[in-house]
Order: sequence, then structure tokens, then C-alpha cells
Amino acid sequence: MRKITSVISVLMAASLVLAACGSNNNNGNAASSSAPAAATPASSPADTGSAAPADDPTQVKATISIYFPTPDKVQERKLEDDKIARFNQVYPNVEIIKSDWQYNPNEIGIKMGANEAPTLFNTYATEGKFLVEKGWAADITELWNSYEKKDQFNKTLSSQFIIDGKVYGIPQRGYITATVVNTKMLKDKGIAPPPFNWTWDDMLNTAKAAADPNAGISGFAPMGKGNEAGWNWTNFLFAAGGDIQTVDSKVTAAFNSDAGLKAIEFYNKLKWEANAIPQDWALGWGDAVGAFAQGRTAMVIAGASDPVDQALNQGGMSPSDIEVYPNAAAPGGSHAGIIGGDFLVINPNASKDEQAMAFRYAVFDYFNDDFLTSLDANIEARKAENKYFIPPVFEYFDMTSEFGQKVKAVYEKHDNVYQYKQEFLDLLDAKLEAQYNTQDYYAAMTNVIQEVFSKQGVDMKASLDATAKTVQEKFYDTIQL
Amino acid sequence: MEQTTAVPIQLQPRERPKRKFRRNFWGYLFVLPAIVIFALFLWYPIVKGLMDSLYKIDFVKGDSFVGFDNYRTVFNDPDVRIAVKNTLKYMGLGIVIGFWVPILFAIMISEMRKFQGFARVAAYLPYVVPFVVLYGVWRWMYDPVGPINQVIKSFGIDPVLFMVDKAWAMPAIVIMETWQSFGSAMLIYLAAVLSIPRDWYEASEIDGAGVWQRIRHITLPAIKNQILLLLMLQLIATSQGFQTQYAMLDGGPNNATLTYALLLTRYAFVRQDYGVASAMGVIMFFALVILAIIQYRLNRNGGID
Repeated sequence: MRKITSVISVLMAASLVLAACGSNNNNGNAASSSAPAAATPASSPADTGSAAPADDPTQVKATISIYFPTPDKVQERKLEDDKIARFNQVYPNVEIIKSDWQYNPNEIGIKMGANEAPTLFNTYATEGKFLVEKGWAADITELWNSYEKKDQFNKTLSSQFIIDGKVYGIPQRGYITATVVNTKMLKDKGIAPPPFNWTWDDMLNTAKAAADPNAGISGFAPMGKGNEAGWNWTNFLFAAGGDIQTVDSKVTAAFNSDAGLKAIEFYNKLKWEANAIPQDWALGWGDAVGAFAQGRTAMVIAGASDPVDQALNQGGMSPSDIEVYPNAAAPGGSHAGIIGGDFLVINPNASKDEQAMAFRYAVFDYFNDDFLTSLDANIEARKAENKYFIPPVFEYFDMTSEFGQKVKAVYEKHDNVYQYKQEFLDLLDAKLEAQYNTQDYYAAMTNVIQEVFSKQGVDMKASLDATAKTVQEKFYDTIQL
Repeated sequence: MEQTTAVPIQLQPRERPKRKFRRNFWGYLFVLPAIVIFALFLWYPIVKGLMDSLYKIDFVKGDSFVGFDNYRTVFNDPDVRIAVKNTLKYMGLGIVIGFWVPILFAIMISEMRKFQGFARVAAYLPYVVPFVVLYGVWRWMYDPVGPINQVIKSFGIDPVLFMVDKAWAMPAIVIMETWQSFGSAMLIYLAAVLSIPRDWYEASEIDGAGVWQRIRHITLPAIKNQILLLLMLQLIATSQGFQTQYAMLDGGPNNATLTYALLLTRYAFVRQDYGVASAMGVIMFFALVILAIIQYRLNRNGGID
């Protein structure tokens, strides 16, 4: 009997997951009284609703937990530590707790359900609609409108979290996907690097020439495992002039258009005509970017700064070994790349004081000369470690603004800051990701991509249409606009 | 004749509950942690899972009762059919490829006259390799230019694309898991084999039995109960498999390694649809209960211990 009990106990281990999922279903009702445990002690009733924030915000007592970069992001952690110290000089009564939790779509539900999400947490551009629909992002319109520098934000980024006229997030930085090319590998093989305004034909020919399957080297490493496969392919969809979905009175799948067909046919060519992708194409984001840094592929598509960072700071390459290109243009298309970014969101369960302080913390360094000093010191520190500083392609501010020019001057002062070429920046065509069920679309497209990579002669049109029908019926038809 | 008189039986007065409690106080106290742990981590989740399967779960707005809608979603989802098929395939491959390996090694090691201790440790070592390392190593082993394909190519055969060929993906995972975990089961078999009385073997040798006859007529029958027990435990474990499928291939290529448990986690943690995930969990629970009952019956009839 003991045996059967222990066997059943093993069987039931999976049920724990279910229990964790449903342990707190009244969160919304308790929202105002159940701020994160760490934040509770300082937010006494005397603080909440008092006149202090309006009169003298520097005297507000509050405890806020903030998103703190993960240990691998050394330069960001240093900047954040420095920021906390400076923030506490101005707001000495605010206790800041570093949260090592990184936003994860798979975990946010649990964090919110358990009331353990930080007061200020990071998220991605695509998550805006989702967080707002779930009620997991505080409406910060009032705080935003009272911020005197709100008009200087990069509008392409900030608009991602303005939904129905209400503001739900603060932009941190943006990325645009680009094709990073190992130009040293091309030169070593006697291949002329393509021009910046390259086309799909240029890309195909370059990838074919650079590939050496017997040595395990590919010309281009598309991501083929998990949802990132769909994300990577979407660059080609956009470059061909296509869209993921159209939104009017309802959301309609649009990725099975002629542009979508062209894009999947190009993948088919890369695999079956050029034999230019890795034989083992089941690569996740880390696998593909890692393969680039290890010199196992000549080209990879990702947020521009990431492969550069890995290649220079981990792969031991030098800036002259690589080049960041805009994505190749399809015939009649553009050099479109997916724009995305990091945003800060305030926990709606936090008290008003905590929300106000979290907002102040989020924008504390924005448009601020102290940040320039800190940035300068950080770049110096990286230099002492023989590391490069890789700036994001898009900042929260417009690079042409006065503050943007100051930042640019700091970057140009150091020789260990990676500089994106102007030709690259001039050709960029930023395309926003879909805001509805993006991950579901990526997952569905991943199947189509894997089918094309696994089997020659797939009816690509039929496969795209069937996937579009599934996505439409399963996800888009349930959206009420 | 001596006359005996019947002595009326004195019925013991019923012990008062309070007194009984006091007498067994320490016993109850020792049992309490087990009861709390079982209630919290076993029975409550089962009941909660059953309840959640009938609700649309929303952490913020509150749950709403949807009857059997979640079950309808499960039965109408074509991915569920693929996942069930893949799970059965995974369970089957686990038996065909992996189940006999620890038995074979246990018998081989028990026959060794020297280096038996070393062989035991060597066979068990892969079991302590961290999963992250394991997956990294085997991705390299299976790489088109990795060591396995180098050997294959040396025979003039085209490389096998283990990770992206739909026919190979699941067997490749089972082979990797077999390598990693056979040592653990082997120790159980080895203990059983070594407990077989040596005089049985000596008697059979005197009767002229060879190695194969000894294994067939003595060893295997003697460890039959362990074989049945571990078979059931393996079936139960593989029916819930998703970790390797997720980490190595995320269910690909083209859903070839999408197992039922992996799809369940996707419903819960990617789609945030905990109601449907709970319904899948409940269905799985009943399927596993059947396996557990079979195991229980075998336990009772065969005396597995």
C-alpha cells in the first residue's frame, strides 16, 4: 500500500502546478490592500493619500521593488546601482529593493496571481495589449501627463504602451532587427561583402557562397526552434511588404498574403536550393546568435546590438570583423526590420505613493546630465575590462534631440563604443510587431517553417492558408474590439 | 466433580475520547507533518485541479464557471491528438530502446569478477550530470558534424540529422535519456541480482547450464518482480515526459516531439489558459490512475516489494 501511495504521490506532482496556478483568484478585489510583501511595511495608511507627494515628494516614505538587470548584464547592473544611490540622495525615505525577476510571459500570470511582481518591472513592446487586457499594468496617464519632459520621448517607442489614450508603460530602449554579417569570414573566403542596400538575391548568393556544410558552417542561421522561428521569419514577411494581421472592426490574419508566400519561398530557397542554413536548423535565439559569435554562420538576424555584443565581448571578434546591415530587401519591398523594445511597467497592485515613486525612479535619469556622467564612467570601466560598449539602436529619446546629441558626444569620445554605420541607420525601415496574440502567431508560423525546412516540395501556399485559418479561428475570432 | 461457576465477563468500559487522545498524543504529533504535507501538496492540488478545470481562470477579474468548456477545447484541439500520439510513441520507444539496458548492464556487472565497483560507478555517473550540461553535450553529439555523424560518415553513409529529422527526433531523445538514466535503474536490478542465492547458480552449473540458460532460467525469473515494478514506473514517468522535449527541441521539428505534458505546459504558461491546462491535467490524472491500479494489482498478485 505504501508503494501505491508513493506512486500516486509521484503522479500528483504535476498537479502542484495546477494548484500554483489557481491559488489566488481574487487578486483584483484585493489589489489595493495587497501590495507586494516587500512594499507593504512602508506604505502605511498615513502615507497613502497624504498630501506629501504633492507638497514635497522628497519626503515620501515608500518601499518599491524594481526590476534589476540579470548578472550577465554587467554594464546595466553598474548603471542601475549608481542610479539607486543617486535616487536615494534625492528621495532618502524611499527604500529600493532589487528584484532579480525578469519579465517572462510564462511567469507574469503566476507573479501577479501570487502578488509577487515588483512595483516596477520590465517588459517588451509586444506585451502592452496583453498586460492592459489582463489588468496587470497600472494606468499611469496622470503621472505621465504631469511629467514635464514627456514630449521628448521617442514617439515610435512610447506609442507602444499608449492604448485607447491611456499610458501604461515607460520606454527604456528600443531595438530593430538587423542582419549582422561576419565580413571577415566573407573576405577570408574571397566573397565580396554585399552593399548596404542589398536584396534577397544578394543575401542568397552570399549565404550560398559562405556555407560549408561539411565543416558545419552555414551562410545564414535562421532561428528554427520555438517561437523565435516565427519571429525571425516575420522580418522577411515585412521585407516583402506583408503584415501579420489587419485590425479594423476585427482582427484578421494577413500573413498568408502574396508577401507571406514570397517570404516562405525564400526560406525554401535558402534551405533546398542554396543549402545555406545549418543542417541542424533547430536553433533557438541563443543557439543562432551563439553560432554567429563562434564563427559557425556568416549571417544572423536579431536585435542589432545582441549579436554584436556576443561577437565582440564573448566571441573575441573585433569591430572590423563584423558589419551590421539592414535586413535585405525583397524585390519591390523594403529593408524592413521588426522594431521592439524594453518598457517599464508599474504594478497596479502598488499603492498610489508607490506608483508615483516607481514612476519617479523610472524617469529619474531620463534627459539628465547625471546619466551622461554615469554612462561615461561605465564606458571607461568597460574599457578597463577590454570590453566593448554596445549601445542600443533606438534610445527612449530621439537621437537628433539636444539630449541625444550629448549622448552621441559621449559615445564618440571612447574607442570601445560600437558605432553603427550611418548607411545602416539611413536604410532602416522600422515595422511594429502585431499587438494581438503575437506569440500564438509566432508559434503557428514556427510549424510552417519547420515543415518547409524538414520536407522538400511542401505546398507552401496551402500550408500558410491552413495556418492562417487556425490562427484566425482559434485566436483572432475571440478578440472583441 | 468439581463444579465450576461461570464468571461473568467484565466488559471493558469504552475509553473516553479525551483520554484516548492524551494517550496517543505523541503518535498524532508524529503523524501530523505527514498529514499536513500530504494535504497541502497532494490532496488539495488534486481537488483544486479538478475545480479549476471547470472554470475560466483569471487572476485579476476572478474565475468564472464554464462547465465542461475546457474539456471540449481539449477534445477539439488537433494538437492534443498529435501530443497523445507522440506521448504513446515516446512511452513505446522508452521500452524498446531503453528498458532492457539497465537489466543487461546489471547482469553483465554481476558476472564481472574484477572492477565491479568501478563499473557500477561508471554506469551511474551519467545520472548525476546536470541537465543543462547533458543537453549541451548531446546537441553536440547529434550535430551534423558531431562525433556520432563523423563515425557514420566514415562508413560512407550520409549524416543523420537527429534533431531536425521528424523520424529521428524522438528516438534521439530517448537514446539520450537512456544513456543518462539507466544507471539508476541498474542499481536496483543489480541489488536484486546479487541477492539471488549463489548455490542456485552453482547447482545449475553442475547440471551443465551455460550463461544464457542461467540468465533465462534463474536470473530473469528471480528479478521478475523488479522488472514489472520498474516497467510500470517507467511508463508512468514517460507518460509525463516534457522536460527534454522542451529543452532540446521545444516540441519540434514540426510537432514531432510535442508531448501531452509539453502541450499542457504551453496551455498554462504560454497561453495563460489555466482552465484548459487543468482539464488536461485531470484527464492525464485519470489515465495515470489506471496505470497505478495495474501496478497495484501486480504488486498484490506478484508480491512486488
